[in-house]
Amino acid sequence: MINIERNPWREMVNHAQAAYPNECCGAMIGSVDGDNKTVTCALALDNVSQGSQRARYELRPEDLLRADREARAQKLDLIGIYHSHPDCGAYFSETDLKNSCPWYSFVVLSIQNGKFDHANSWLPNAEQTQAEKEELTWPES
Amino acid sequence: MARILIPTALRQFAEKHDNVELPGATVGDVLHALTTRFPDLKKNLYSDEGKLRSFVNVYLNDEDIRYINKESSPVTDSDVLSIVPSIAGGKHA
Repeated sequence: MINIERNPWREMVNHAQAAYPNECCGAMIGSVDGDNKTVTCALALDNVSQGSQRARYELRPEDLLRADREARAQKLDLIGIYHSHPDCGAYFSETDLKNSCPWYSFVVLSIQNGKFDHANSWLPNAEQTQAEKEELTWPES
Repeated sequence: MARILIPTALRQFAEKHDNVELPGATVGDVLHALTTRFPDLKKNLYSDEGKLRSFVNVYLNDEDIRYINKESSPVTDSDVLSIVPSIAGGKHA
């Protein structure tokens, strides 16, 4: 399961609402204890998708490299990626799946009419053929 | 020996190391040494055809190896290799 602490959760929701009607994306940093992950820091990253950002996001690998270095410097781990789905459910779409990687939790925030509605976390497989739903908790959940 | 940084999720396949020093004259040599020492990492990094998976990028210090000499890029003892995925997505297929 993955638990997101209050401050990073607030930053993620604020980021997703500010980016509306576009999709936002970012990295989640924290600690891992067996199957339990705790997010203590959220890092907003640029959506560099060249297409319509209302329905697409793309991370720069260099930004992810920087996030990993920041996590290591704090003796923490890069444990997940978040992005938003404006006016759409927090499912893991075919596009999400085909451009995912199995090393991270993928938290999707549904933003409806500019406001946070719900969220889910997903664990895609290495073949990018399916994603398993992961238990997700945050302060108000 | 060059140092290679192991992403969090892959450490379970690398005896929990977050980085290891491995011998090799090229990036390909170091990656080969990595998957030889930790065979369970191979399926995470390589496809069944033996190619790096589509979402796997390898950085030699701050440079993506695709823009230098790919897996033939030479490495020295002071170099650091990082494994970084490509990630994108979006709400509609």
